[in-house]
Amino acid sequence: MPGLGTSFGRGAATNFTQDLANSDCILIMGSNMAEAHPVGFRWPMRAKGAGATLVHVDPRFSRTSALCDVFVGIRAGSDVAFLGGVVNYVLTQDKWFKEYVAAYTNAATIVEQGFEDAEDLDGLFSGYRPESGTYDPKGGHWAYAGSSGNEQKKSEPGQHGTHGYGLMGVAEAGDAPRTDPTLQHPRCVFQILKRHFARYTPEVVAEVCGCSPEEMVRVAELLCANSGRDRTSAIVYAVGWTQHTTGVQIIRTAGILQLLLGNVGRPGGGIMAMRGHSSIQGSTDVSTLYDTLPGYLPQPVAHADHESLQGYLDKEGMKTGYWSNFPEFVVSLLKAYYGPAATPDNEFGFGWLPRVDGDHSHLVTFDRMSRGGLTGFFLFGQNPAGGGMNAGLQRAALRNLDWLVVADWFETESAVFWKDDPNGPPAKDIKTEVFFIPAAGHVEKEGTLTNTQRLLQWHNKALDPPGEARSDAWFVYQLGKRLRALYAGSTDPKDAPLLNLTWDYEYDHPHTLPDGTVSRVAGEPDAGKVLQEINGYQTAEIDPRSGRPKLLPGFSALKADGSTACGCWVYSGVYPEPGRNRANRRERTPGNPVEPNWGFAWPHNRRVLYNRASADPEGRPWSERKKYIWWDDSQDRWVGPDEPDFEPGKAPSYRPPEGARGMAAIGGDQPFIMKTDGLGWLYAPKGAKDGPLPCHYEPLESPVRNLLYPQQASSPTVRTFAGPLNSVAQGPTDVFPLVAFTFRLTEHYLSGPMSRFNSWLNELMPEMFAEIGPELAAARGVANGDWVTVRSARGAIECRALVTPRIKALTVDGRAVHQVGLPFHWGFAGEVVGGNANDLTAIVAEANVSMHEGKVFACQLEAGRHGGNPPAATKIAVPWPTRDPVPDTPRSAQPEGGFAHGG
Amino acid sequence: MAVRELELPAHPAGVDATPAPRGLFAKLLHRLTYPFRRGVRPAQQPPTGFYTDTTVCIGCKACEVACKQWNQLPADGFTFTGNSYDNTGALTGDTWRHVKFIEQFTTPEPVAPAPQRFPLEVVTAPVSQPPVDFGRWLMMSDVCKHCAAAPCQQACPTGSIVYTEFANVYIQPDICNGCAYCVAACPFGVITRSHFDGHSHKCTLCYDRQCDGLVPACAKACPTASIQFGPVSELRERAQNRVEQLKAKGVPAYLYGAEATETYTELHSFYLLTDRPEVYGLPADPVNPWLHMRGDYLRSALAGLVGLVALLLAFLLGG
Amino acid sequence: MSTSAATGYASEEPTHAPPWHGLVVWDVFFNALTTGLFLTVAVGELTRPTAFAPVAAWAYPLALAFLLIDLLLLVLDLGDPLRFHHMLRVFKPSSPMSLGTWCLTLYSFPLAALAVTDVLGLLGAIPTDCSVHAVGRTVLTVVALPFAFGSMAYKGVLFSTSSQPGWRDARWLGAYHVASALALGSAALLGLAAVLGHDPAASLLRPAVAALVVVQGVPLLCLVRELQPELVRRYPRMQLWGGGVLVAGVGILIPLALLPVWSVGMVLFVSVGAWVTRHFVVMIPEA
Ligand SMILES: Nc1nc2c(c(=O)[nH]1)N[C@H]1C(S)=C(S)[C@@H](COP(=O)(O)OP(=O)(O)OC[C@H]3O[C@@H](n4cnc5c(=O)[nH]c(N)nc54)[C@H](O)[C@@H]3O)O[C@H]1N2
Ligand SMILES: Nc1nc2c(c(=O)[nH]1)N[C@H]1C(S)=C(S)[C@@H](COP(=O)(O)OP(=O)(O)OC[C@H]3O[C@@H](n4cnc5c(=O)[nH]c(N)nc54)[C@H](O)[C@@H]3O)O[C@H]1N2
Ligand code: SF4
Ligand code: SF4
Ligand code: SF4
Ligand code: SF4
Ligand code: SF4
Ligand SMILES: [Mo]
Repeated sequence: MPGLGTSFGRGAATNFTQDLANSDCILIMGSNMAEAHPVGFRWPMRAKGAGATLVHVDPRFSRTSALCDVFVGIRAGSDVAFLGGVVNYVLTQDKWFKEYVAAYTNAATIVEQGFEDAEDLDGLFSGYRPESGTYDPKGGHWAYAGSSGNEQKKSEPGQHGTHGYGLMGVAEAGDAPRTDPTLQHPRCVFQILKRHFARYTPEVVAEVCGCSPEEMVRVAELLCANSGRDRTSAIVYAVGWTQHTTGVQIIRTAGILQLLLGNVGRPGGGIMAMRGHSSIQGSTDVSTLYDTLPGYLPQPVAHADHESLQGYLDKEGMKTGYWSNFPEFVVSLLKAYYGPAATPDNEFGFGWLPRVDGDHSHLVTFDRMSRGGLTGFFLFGQNPAGGGMNAGLQRAALRNLDWLVVADWFETESAVFWKDDPNGPPAKDIKTEVFFIPAAGHVEKEGTLTNTQRLLQWHNKALDPPGEARSDAWFVYQLGKRLRALYAGSTDPKDAPLLNLTWDYEYDHPHTLPDGTVSRVAGEPDAGKVLQEINGYQTAEIDPRSGRPKLLPGFSALKADGSTACGCWVYSGVYPEPGRNRANRRERTPGNPVEPNWGFAWPHNRRVLYNRASADPEGRPWSERKKYIWWDDSQDRWVGPDEPDFEPGKAPSYRPPEGARGMAAIGGDQPFIMKTDGLGWLYAPKGAKDGPLPCHYEPLESPVRNLLYPQQASSPTVRTFAGPLNSVAQGPTDVFPLVAFTFRLTEHYLSGPMSRFNSWLNELMPEMFAEIGPELAAARGVANGDWVTVRSARGAIECRALVTPRIKALTVDGRAVHQVGLPFHWGFAGEVVGGNANDLTAIVAEANVSMHEGKVFACQLEAGRHGGNPPAATKIAVPWPTRDPVPDTPRSAQPEGGFAHGG
Repeated sequence: MAVRELELPAHPAGVDATPAPRGLFAKLLHRLTYPFRRGVRPAQQPPTGFYTDTTVCIGCKACEVACKQWNQLPADGFTFTGNSYDNTGALTGDTWRHVKFIEQFTTPEPVAPAPQRFPLEVVTAPVSQPPVDFGRWLMMSDVCKHCAAAPCQQACPTGSIVYTEFANVYIQPDICNGCAYCVAACPFGVITRSHFDGHSHKCTLCYDRQCDGLVPACAKACPTASIQFGPVSELRERAQNRVEQLKAKGVPAYLYGAEATETYTELHSFYLLTDRPEVYGLPADPVNPWLHMRGDYLRSALAGLVGLVALLLAFLLGG
Repeated sequence: MSTSAATGYASEEPTHAPPWHGLVVWDVFFNALTTGLFLTVAVGELTRPTAFAPVAAWAYPLALAFLLIDLLLLVLDLGDPLRFHHMLRVFKPSSPMSLGTWCLTLYSFPLAALAVTDVLGLLGAIPTDCSVHAVGRTVLTVVALPFAFGSMAYKGVLFSTSSQPGWRDARWLGAYHVASALALGSAALLGLAAVLGHDPAASLLRPAVAALVVVQGVPLLCLVRELQPELVRRYPRMQLWGGGVLVAGVGILIPLALLPVWSVGMVLFVSVGAWVTRHFVVMIPEA
């Protein structure tokens, strides 16, 4: 999430969901919160009950819109324009929070001579390299003036593809940049910002988005009226923003807006990134991404700079801010990986880490697979043949494999693609050998989940998995053991990383279930031990209480000399002592709505990030109403209901001495401690590969030209993967004149395995449909409920038409533009089956995180069925109910009024 | 963990004591005599019920699924209705909760442009409920109303329908013989006869959960507290406050069924609505059919009397 | 497939129709037949024993047969026919169905006894001219009478005491059912007398049938007035006209005309009228 990282310093939601109840105004945009996060939505509802105004900006009037006070319908893919309009309004109407902006953001910082804005270059920033489609920030003079910031220090991620820094926004800005506190210097960030957004006037924005100018202004006014000393507004987004070729920049615009309005680091403010899968946050923290190591450390690249540990630390470390502890994080991680085998002499095993030699992100890998570039694949809990972009291509890719292992709860599209794909080749022509491993369910295993608000919550195992099903941890752990056994005794250096891994998570005592019986499953790793390793420990000190290495109290105890090991520094502190698993805490704290004793939030149990900004530069609360963390003179420390996201004893008056390093370089009034300058970044001198400021670009496939920068239709840095299976209809065309966008339904989950095998959910939403407005329906001669065919450059699907006035026709560029809303929950495996929206989407990659554009593409819609083979259900509906009583349950506890009763 | 409320007593009180009969004759005897056995009536408790605030319902249908899951009810079939997001259709013997969706948009264009062009004055905060300018999408979770005097209960010839100690209307599934008179009697269309077992079913108000001190499954699952469970008197007060709060914001809110009308008793499951009851599929003026029963019998008797007189006259005066 | 509209569910009837289907039309019809037949013959036998006794010996078994058909239909219409006896768990006067079940049950025993004695008498298995026989029959008849009337009276009220469209407004449905049952029953008895060739009974019955067939028109008119909105809403015009012709013409006028000449035919026409009325009324919620 580099959008947040570059703006504030950490790629995670700034606040916690419950805190939305403290907002005075909530802008929900790019999120369908009521439908996709129904339980979390209770907090906006609570805010609304207390008088807050809820605003929803979305292509379609959804269940979220129904509950909001204000709804603005816009064209999918026009978010930067809309938000840019709001930013422009805030600046031109002089509604920004002066003291906050002056003290806590880089508004006053002066940018190097030679930087040219997209305003001047028709939608491109200086430094664009057309041959590679990338930016050269150095050549473009993006850096701060008067510092060493213009030195090219990082091994440039670019085509190597690492985005570890991007995620956390830790790009080096150099030291002591020049500033102009009056904000008048023509090259200071504030003036650049003003000029940059000047063209986003309400009229132009309305023209691009298809809303009215008044609607945009109204949203801006609401945000302004509800921000400032005494009030705060929050912004909620999710994949309606991220899944675009401009995703990172949409979030950047929101970051700029929230900084200008002074809403970051404060209760009821901030930006809530609503995350998806349970523990998707966890999977970025303890990284499953190919180019980051746990704790947002960049995976070393195959480059001379990263040859040695010292070279890596020199290149990637920071001199100032919290990231100056980089060596401590890296060495402790290596100690956690390789244990005693990691020694100062062998650079703690740094040489054993795999080096990144290119882009190995999901879509790129599948593109390669579709060209025959892979032989085998492990698929744990993912269904690319259904939910992946251009699922048809992904199925073709799977057909190219020699072998595929699918560990899942259900026989998903990815498991049965070789026999049940109605329009695929016959099974006998497919060479892929598919191994299906039944996976244990979440109640059949223990461990932590990290949710949207960075909160780790431990969950216990309730029962053993049935039959041969095993947890993913069991599978990976056992696979590792078997591999190590196979290679045991090898002296080949390339086998050393495997043989030197710490791979010992056996239970010390027999593993028991809640009912006291011993688990039937042998060889399950002890998740508690894994969490302890992630927390970190002293390598040389034994805790007498446990007889095991002494656990660390938090990441401040980490050392770079090999005396500490830590599997993921941001999580350190979660298991500080034997028997004290803070993720497993469920203590309520009456009187403190922050509830700090419920689970454990990283970092260091802080619930609101950058919360130093909830006090003014002198350390006093901005207002009594929005009091959160403040400086207490009598105690000489920061106090408040939450853990201060600041050095607890650093006074507001602290000013770093000349040449200070590390945290000492961060002043007592600089809340963004992850940033080298301690400030929130309105302008990002580095960290975003597609420009220091956001620009509106049209989606790659759009029926509309770019009205703001006519020379530059779509993002200049986007990568495409041309091929017969992945054609892209770039630019306006008559063949695909409609805007398609995708969304979720409460009733289904992602590509459907977890919902379309369940009749209780299937009856609620039984069939794939397209939401279209009455005007488009009339134009195509389609009645509500009719079959329609939706076509894109990748393929065609059939589904039902749900004709509804909730989808309105928009006027864009002086003409009517129609939108087609598509849920993406159906496929050909399950109890109910149907057209898959992802058979229409494309594989493209945004510059920063290789994100696709699954949220918007161009399509055509016709009346009638497609004509291909319609899929047939692969699971027969259970003839509910069973007349038999629920087993192991006394009769009086049988379902009340149920069908099992009878005289 | 706050899961205490999930712990069941080790030996739940119940009717498990009698062993199941063995042998054809014993089974037959059991079957014949079973309905005539009587239990002990539990002590009366304060009446409980639901207050459903439709203005905070997000249409997530968690209540529908929670009910099916808790009560192990069958799915009703996979039919796409095209009626907004309502693919359930109606309350039935297999579906005891039903979320309704009503799309109200005045024109095909949901957004009516504001009157003047581009006004720049700042809205004073906090901003009150703005005028409904883009239309609305009403959602309502429907359920048995648990009428204080329930026509279905009055109709039931087997005594299968009873009031529980919580004054909830409850169908005893082991007694019902599927005569379906309750189906005909309910003015709200709550009950149907299930084709799975031929018996009538409806919301039990989670009698089993209430007995164990738990909140009904649907209310527990509701993320926005649209469904609120509790003693009816408390709920009424809470609902009244909410109506006033909404009215102050200009929302045309009112309570449906919180108080008795001339033709119907109060509902122990009542609703906060913002449009006419018919829009939500509720009868505007429900009538308890029993108001007419006496008169209907009298007219029948009158007809019988006239007929008898005719017969007597003919027979006695005839040749 | 309903379209989304600002009026939401307003166009739908909130109630669910009971799944009684067409069986119930026949059930109501046979209920009328058995109770009407029994009441006429019982009143006749009690007031003019000599004239009616020979017909009665056939009429009671016939009434029993009708009753059994009726009961069979009732049981078959239950969702769980094996639980029929659950009806007798409680006596609930608030429920017309409970009252009706008890009345039918209590009516069925003396009727069965009467029918059995009659059949045995006809077969010559027991003497029919002794006083025990006569007194016994009178006692059984008197005991059965109120229950027979209850069985007759509850039926229409059962429908009108409901929330179904049409039925709930049908204040005269009970009265119509009783009047029509008496007309139907007396007509059936007349037909039986005619078939058996018992002129004394037939001649006593003729004016009674004429009166009853006419009298039933009064509650019928009231009923039609009450049901008019629902009938018009739910049935096509042609069907309503056809129904009207069958009910008034075939069910009332033709029988009156046939009464002096062809009793058996008259019974058939009366039956058609009675059945058609019941069909239209009973099927309203499902139409
Ligand atoms: N019931 C349910 N809940 C879920 C999931 C599920 O599948 N089912 N999935 C989970 C996962 S993995 C995730 S990531 C989250 C996602 O949660 P959300 O992102 O909230 O879910 P979506 O409905 O996919 O998309 C959000 C909204 O973006 C809108 N949208 C589409 N294109 C654009 C655009 O260009 N601009 C703007 N402003 N809006 C646009 C859609 O209309 C939709 O209302 O939900 C999680 N929760
Ligand atoms: N067009 C379009 N496409 C989209 C999106 C969109 O908005 N629009 N959203 C995208 C988003 S945000 C996401 S996150 C992806 C998600 O796409 P996927 O990651 O493919 O998600 P699912 O389809 O839910 O597949 C997850 C699988 O994991 C299995 N599973 C669940 N728990 C376990 C477990 O414990 N162990 C194992 N081994 N298996 C388990 C489930 O049964 C299921 O089959 O879809 C993306 N696709
Ligand atoms: S599915 Fe789970 S995570 Fe998603 S809203 Fe429901 S409770 Fe929350
Ligand atoms: S709503 Fe219907 S089913 Fe529920 S108690 Fe009232 S009459 Fe009975
Ligand atoms: S169907 Fe069952 S519950 Fe309903 S009235 Fe008949 S016996 Fe009672
Ligand atoms: S109270 Fe229980 S039975 Fe009734 S609707 Fe709710 S969950 Fe279902
Ligand atoms: S659970 Fe609550 S919010 Fe969701 S549909 Fe039911 S009543 Fe509405
Ligand atoms: Mo996701």
